[in-house]
Amino acid sequence: MNLNAFNLGMPFKWLPPKILLIMKLIIVLMISFLMQVSAAGYGQKINIDKNNTSLKEVLENIKKQTGYVFFSKDYDLKQAKISVKLKDADIDEALEACLKGLPLSYKIVDKTVFVQLKEKTFLERVVATLNNTDASGRVVDSENRPLPGASVKVKKTGKGVSTDKDGRFFLRGVEEGAVLVVSFIGYLPKEVSASTNMGNVVLEQSLSKLDEVQVIAYGTTTQRLSTGNVTTIKADVIEKQPVNNPLLALQGRVPGLFIEQATGFAGTGVKVRIQGQNSILKGNDPFYVIDGVPFLSQLTSVRNSFIPDIQGNSTPGGISGNPLSFINPSDIESIDVLKDADATAIYGSRAANGAILITTKKGKSGETKVDLNLQTGIGQVVRKLKVLNTNQYLEMRNEALKNNGILIPRAYESDLNGVWDRTRNVDWQKELIGDNAQYHDLQASVSGGGNGTTFLIGTGYHRETNVFPGDFADTKGSIHVNINSSSTNQRFKIQFTGSYLTDNNKLPPVDLTLSAITLAPNSPEPYNPDGTLNWQPNEAGTTTYSNNPLAPFKKTYQNKTTNLVSNILLSYQFLKGLEFKSSFGFNTLNSDQIILYPTTSFQPEDLISGRGYSSFSTNVNKSWIVEPQLTYNRSISRGQLNLLIGSTVQQSTNNGQAILGSDYVSDLLLNDVRSAPNVTVLGSNNGVYKYNGLYGRLNYNWMNKYILNITARRDGSSNFGPENQFHNFGAIGAAWIFSESNFIKRFFPFLSQGKLRTSYGTTGSDQIGSYQFLNLYESLPTEIPYQGGQGLTSHELNNPYLQWEETRKLQIGLDLGLLMDRVILNVNYNRNRSSNQLIRLPLPIITGAVNIAYNLPVVVQNTGWELTVNSSNISSERFNWTSSFNITIPRNEIVSFHGTELESNNEFYLNQPISVRKVFQFAGVNQNTGLYQFIGSKGNIVPQPSDPDDLTKFINIDPKFYGGFQNHLSYKSFSVDILLQFVKQIGYDWTQTGYTLPGRFNQTPNVPVSILDRWQKPGDRATHQLFSTGGIASSSISAATKSDLMYKDASFVRLKNVAASWVLPEQWRKTLGMKNISLFVQGQNLFTITRYQGLDPESKGFGLPPLRTITIGAKITL
Amino acid sequence: MYSTLKPNRIALKTWMLLMLYVFTTLNIGCKKLVETDAPTTSISGKNVFSTDATSIAVLTGIYTKISGSSIMAGGYGSEFASIGFLTGLSGDELTLYEGVEDTRLNYYQNRIIARTDNYSFWNVIYPKIYILNSAIEGISDSQSLNNTVKKQLLGEAKFMRAFCYFYLVNLYGNVPLVVNSDYTINLALPRTPKDQVWNQIILDLKDAQNLLSDNYLDITLLKKTTERVRPTKWVATALLARSYLFLRDWKNAELQSSLIINHSDLYHLEGLNEVFKNTSSEAIWQLQPVNLGFNTEDARCYIISDYGPGADQNGAAYISGELLKSFDVKDQRAKNWIDRITYEGFTYYYPYKYKIGTYDEKIVSPAEMNEYQTVFRLAEQYLIKAEALSEQGNLSDAVDNLDVIRNRAGLDRLKITNPGIAITDLRSAILEERRHELFTEWGHRWLDLKRTNTIDKIMSEISPLKGGTWNTNWQLYPVPPEDIRHNQNLIQNPGY
Repeated sequence: MNLNAFNLGMPFKWLPPKILLIMKLIIVLMISFLMQVSAAGYGQKINIDKNNTSLKEVLENIKKQTGYVFFSKDYDLKQAKISVKLKDADIDEALEACLKGLPLSYKIVDKTVFVQLKEKTFLERVVATLNNTDASGRVVDSENRPLPGASVKVKKTGKGVSTDKDGRFFLRGVEEGAVLVVSFIGYLPKEVSASTNMGNVVLEQSLSKLDEVQVIAYGTTTQRLSTGNVTTIKADVIEKQPVNNPLLALQGRVPGLFIEQATGFAGTGVKVRIQGQNSILKGNDPFYVIDGVPFLSQLTSVRNSFIPDIQGNSTPGGISGNPLSFINPSDIESIDVLKDADATAIYGSRAANGAILITTKKGKSGETKVDLNLQTGIGQVVRKLKVLNTNQYLEMRNEALKNNGILIPRAYESDLNGVWDRTRNVDWQKELIGDNAQYHDLQASVSGGGNGTTFLIGTGYHRETNVFPGDFADTKGSIHVNINSSSTNQRFKIQFTGSYLTDNNKLPPVDLTLSAITLAPNSPEPYNPDGTLNWQPNEAGTTTYSNNPLAPFKKTYQNKTTNLVSNILLSYQFLKGLEFKSSFGFNTLNSDQIILYPTTSFQPEDLISGRGYSSFSTNVNKSWIVEPQLTYNRSISRGQLNLLIGSTVQQSTNNGQAILGSDYVSDLLLNDVRSAPNVTVLGSNNGVYKYNGLYGRLNYNWMNKYILNITARRDGSSNFGPENQFHNFGAIGAAWIFSESNFIKRFFPFLSQGKLRTSYGTTGSDQIGSYQFLNLYESLPTEIPYQGGQGLTSHELNNPYLQWEETRKLQIGLDLGLLMDRVILNVNYNRNRSSNQLIRLPLPIITGAVNIAYNLPVVVQNTGWELTVNSSNISSERFNWTSSFNITIPRNEIVSFHGTELESNNEFYLNQPISVRKVFQFAGVNQNTGLYQFIGSKGNIVPQPSDPDDLTKFINIDPKFYGGFQNHLSYKSFSVDILLQFVKQIGYDWTQTGYTLPGRFNQTPNVPVSILDRWQKPGDRATHQLFSTGGIASSSISAATKSDLMYKDASFVRLKNVAASWVLPEQWRKTLGMKNISLFVQGQNLFTITRYQGLDPESKGFGLPPLRTITIGAKITL
Repeated sequence: MYSTLKPNRIALKTWMLLMLYVFTTLNIGCKKLVETDAPTTSISGKNVFSTDATSIAVLTGIYTKISGSSIMAGGYGSEFASIGFLTGLSGDELTLYEGVEDTRLNYYQNRIIARTDNYSFWNVIYPKIYILNSAIEGISDSQSLNNTVKKQLLGEAKFMRAFCYFYLVNLYGNVPLVVNSDYTINLALPRTPKDQVWNQIILDLKDAQNLLSDNYLDITLLKKTTERVRPTKWVATALLARSYLFLRDWKNAELQSSLIINHSDLYHLEGLNEVFKNTSSEAIWQLQPVNLGFNTEDARCYIISDYGPGADQNGAAYISGELLKSFDVKDQRAKNWIDRITYEGFTYYYPYKYKIGTYDEKIVSPAEMNEYQTVFRLAEQYLIKAEALSEQGNLSDAVDNLDVIRNRAGLDRLKITNPGIAITDLRSAILEERRHELFTEWGHRWLDLKRTNTIDKIMSEISPLKGGTWNTNWQLYPVPPEDIRHNQNLIQNPGY
């Protein structure tokens, strides 16, 4: 046997080869260990240009360049002459090039390369069979990229290792031919037989939903191995929906998540509730994290903007729109919704209401590619309300006058007295909200990179107009950058992600929807022929058309917002399994709002002394976060242990101010506050939020069979008083994958996955706004300072004991995969109890204030059943059909009370949901009087119920159940996605009585056609009371609006989304020179089936309903 | 093949150090990392009493509020200044305009409905007591204040607390005596017997007398000024004299009022049309108006505009027939302090002590003002002294003091017309004089009727004229029912 180690050059022929080899190895390992640190200093790009040179010389050269040490037995490296030319090659490429054509193979162990003959000698084969061999190889994906951290185990013994950074493994002492199981998260496991040089083991990516990567707090997992309740929505789903806020892409898709859109305005408020409303009065928003950086859950502004908000939002300081509107949906790779304690306790105080993690797109290695996504379309109001035409309207008005004994219309009743044209009949819905909104969205990105560095740069442009007459648009431009880089040894990694979006929202100053459905149909033309506003003066010259719907449109409103979210993640692996990471995040969201009130918008009466005015407000939110973490992974026994310990320091500031400039000499100067003779500060705000936490997680996975997950966090928040600033949170989660047991495998082979999981833990909420515990003195605004000095005053009492709301969450879930995961079923039950409710405790004013921020031991319970079924119905080469169905049955209830304090405020009731309303019982129209009547508290009929004594009926407006049903069909290159969203609920329906008293003339006199079924004479059986201009009829109608009459079924099934696409045939693509091109049609909110009579069962009310948006577009990869 | 970063030994060491640094700094100073200062828009209670300027501003804030809230703002009187107006309606001084159908009517007709007439002096006074208690605690503990400033501020706060309790105890009877800022104690306080409240008033005023400056001070509390808009020793003395009078401690009432009357280089009576000016030497304490374009809130409330009376006007009340009739024909106060307007054939007489009630855009600072709202003035001290002397049997000195006031009003001196006046006649003469001198000022008449126990007799005649019925219970206003609901230890006044 000819052994040659050219770097040592010491032949020990008398020793058995194995011992010799071990000795050499020890020496080499010692040296390489000593060199470990400096070895990293060698460049790993190999550059060689040699002609007819000995292999030894070439290898020496490589050694110099890389630090790899070479061994060869049975072969004299000097004898082979090779020609090789390499540029920036890695070690594998280099060696393959060097040994090409030679009867040699190589094996790399750490920093040592063994070069040996390909064909083993007979003796060796015998030895290998008699003794154990050392199996080695490399695990890669289908694109030949290494999979570091993959597990390689001997099936028989369970003994195993993980692959290194290059995907290599080296398993000592394995029987030749023994079965090895190679597995990696998100990939199908593979069985291979062991041999000395196994080359590349290629793992195929798992198509099972169970193996998709789920992003969780400070890590990732898969549905297969998760112990928590997490739902993941991927980019492919988001990009199929023409929405301007990524949250809206989740509607109907996530069990346990209820989302309501306030209106159809761009940037509208969105109500988001994960597993119900936990807090009675305080924040109920989930915790948003974008690439590890916590993001605002509500916008704060100095003055309330008129962008319609949705009921249920709770952040102090005023709300305008939703901050997630300032995230480009196209930049998002995945949205993960974390619901139970197991998933959220590590976020501690901030995640009582669940967490929504947004992960943006990252660069992928490979050839540089350019992706384009272009779409354009229209939006419109889907439904039109049937309201009275002029004939019916005048009939109502005249009858009302007659009922009230008014003989001739009074001076102000312009609709009847001849000042307005009585024959004019306008469909105001068509005039005011009948336009088509335009929708344009263009996205482009470039991505690519090699093994060491990857990048992605994306940019987007989005423009939406709306359905009102006039020139209004919301325009957004955005840029998204991601760069990842790692050292060659993969120990040091850096990732940078930054998203910047600028939004210019020119909205109409008012929502015209209410005018559209309630203006008198014979209201005059809004504009005069010369383009000025028509005020329709009467003979005396007095304005009769003060509610001219387009008058506010002379005002201009502009909101400019910029949003930057950036994050740097650094990590370094010290030892195998031990890694230190730190993320540094920064977010700033700034908005500037300008409203101009030119004199052209004034009524003539106000013009005499009126001068134009304008308001300017700015708001700046800044937040930074630093999160150092240490992770440690290792195998213990037959399980895998993952440890995480980390810390968070976060600080957010909010600054804002609003000023009013008035008495401008000319409307032309309105944009310049300096030109205003009078400047008033309308308000200013300032807040600082500081947060500090220490957290840890222990995860132990025993053979993918039993998984235990323990999380803990200690949190401090500046929102609380010095006495209770810190609190501990924690959770324990466990999963039993029973399908891994031999019993199941043998008797229930159709069960490809069966997992039972449960978790219990605590999370908290500090969404109470800053400074609630501090005793604050604010300056007292005074027109003329007292003695020339500004006074200070205090409005509130301070509670230094103020502390966390705490939610205890219990979760039980069953996850089943049937028939090779073709059908996946998840059932989840949760019971979340929130206590320590932050409520204002009413106080006698002798204490100085009428209430104080306080933790009351009120307990709110949210229980819910969540069911998801994913199935791959048909899966063939040409035709695929998958479905996904989810349903949630929630229940919210106040289960425990502190005294009767709350009850006496007529707001909350024991054993009732938080949002319950107590109303009068409606009892129809009295046949004699023609007025609405009610059932009093004693069961008797009363014409005028008394508040609160006769409020006897509870109305629960929470959804009874909700969910979605999605189908994906593809045939060859065609594919269609259809999502139906459904909600079962009761909602407030104003059409039951009309907006105001039917028959009275005011700013909003028109009513739905259904109101025509009214009482006219004694004995009439009618649905509605008599028409009237006022008096007693208005008291009974105001009682009716507080009765159960108004709460009707507002359930709906909505065709939420349809997306159809067609991938162009390959030949066409080639001709066009594009890698990929597909054309698509997408529609959002296409139609709705409901019994609700108002405009929309989701937005209810009088606001602009969510628009139906239909777009066409193309997706191109260059 | 891309490879950009090459960690070496230095990088490794840097990382280790960084890690060590991050972990230690982040978690050792835990508490520090979550401590915040007050927002820039406000000052925390902890800091507010650490500087002279901010401590002064807290007291200034109280004067500003008392002065600034107009009688109609947010209700029918939202601050102390409407005590004169609402008690005037409840008593026999004012007649409400036809057509007023709100809380004012219920005050007027002596049938306040506790549940719905939610305007209450209780609700405006107690929050001030809270601030005053906090101020007394904060200022006493503060180590960083100038000593002169500290003394003066403590005096001002104690005086103001006494002033608050003076009105509470007179309007409501027994009231919870809150003397610290701790809500955990105060939230369950029962009503304290009147005597104890009075003891506290006297105690605070005596302290205030010792602490307060002899001189009127400017906003720095270090410099003298001519404007009489901050409490001084004399202001505390004036209230102390009044309090002793109410307590029937005649000797002390005489003593305290004499202190002011004898301080003649500072205080002397003015001509009738000079009394309420900001230059008045009769004024002991005035409030500087703080609303742009206006002088006093009283003038805005009472003066009926050229457009005639209307239910939606500020005060919507005019001088009652009874008060008008009671003036002697010679009484110059009826001519100078009452004005009239004839509208639709009816003549309305209205209080005209303050003469400038209309908006004047030129008024942007005290320099453009003429009149200040007067809280204490010398004339009252003469009347206190007269009454105190008379009750001690010193009738002739009593008459002398009374005659000072009568003389100014153009009335004959009692010393001449009725030198041998009997005590009972003198008693009612003094009461009548107070009625004519102090009408519609700070609730004097209503409180006089109560303290002299003449209220039942007079109101059982007056109340029916106003469309109400009198019951002796109505001399106390009701405690706000919310307070009773949130503090089970409080009980309502009888009859409500």
